[in-house]
Amino acid sequence: MSEIEIQLKKGVLGLCVLALLSRGDSYAYEIASRMADAVDMGEGTIYPLMRRMQSEGLVTTYLEESPSGPPRKYYRITDTGRERLAEQVGDWRTFTAAVNGLILGSEAPMKEGETSHEA
Amino acid sequence: MKRNEFIKRLKAGLKGMPQDDIAEIVADYEEHFDAGAADGRSEEEVAAALGNPVRLARELRFEAGFRNWESARSPSSAWSAILAFMGLATIDILILLPIVLPIIGVVFGLFVAVLAIFVSGGFVLIVGPFNGFPGGWLVAILAGLGMMSASVAAGALLTLMWFGRLHYRVIEPAIHAED
Repeated sequence: MSEIEIQLKKGVLGLCVLALLSRGDSYAYEIASRMADAVDMGEGTIYPLMRRMQSEGLVTTYLEESPSGPPRKYYRITDTGRERLAEQVGDWRTFTAAVNGLILGSEAPMKEGETSHEA
Repeated sequence: MKRNEFIKRLKAGLKGMPQDDIAEIVADYEEHFDAGAADGRSEEEVAAALGNPVRLARELRFEAGFRNWESARSPSSAWSAILAFMGLATIDILILLPIVLPIIGVVFGLFVAVLAIFVSGGFVLIVGPFNGFPGGWLVAILAGLGMMSASVAAGALLTLMWFGRLHYRVIEPAIHAED
């Protein structure tokens, strides 16, 4: 994995976790395995992240019986977490739109200039 | 890597954090192994997917706001730790010198006194019997021996105290450095 890829994924990991939790409570193993499929990060990195989000008040935890073995620690998104998610989704859209614009611009540098002349 | 090995390395990496936090983190990863086992994955598979426990511990400690220089055992951080230690030791010695000097003087004086008693004991022992020591030659010999052995005992006691102080002075900067 390239450096930019690692940094990008690290940056959006929190956003992805909040997005997952906004659709329902979950436990770390489930979050990690869903993230690992989509984002390809080490499963272990979910725990430092969850602890940070907990200390920032974005998520809360509670224990619930599991069908197999000891009770599991579930994470629930808080109102602060939802606010943060909305904020980050907005940032993400603006950012990707800007980056897309630049990338497309570099692929066809003359096109934009021509259209702006016509407008 | 097996589950036990992973947890052991993780714990070692978390050293220095509050016991409650360590217990909580370890429980998280134990739960992960349990869930993995329920998922039909082997301990090695789960450990490999989790990643390097030492690096994870460092990240966890960083999240907790712990800046333990041991976690980054790079040459530069070790060097700066040594420099800081030496600086502290120098300041310690400068501050302690006025306090320590009189003590050193007193101890030195006591040592000289002990040596003098030892020598004079020997003198009494050898010269006393021939020069009409009050009480006769036997008393002179016994008095001489007594003085010598007393001085040896006092010397031993002083050496022991000195040795103890030396240890304290070696250890003391280390105690300061950990603050």
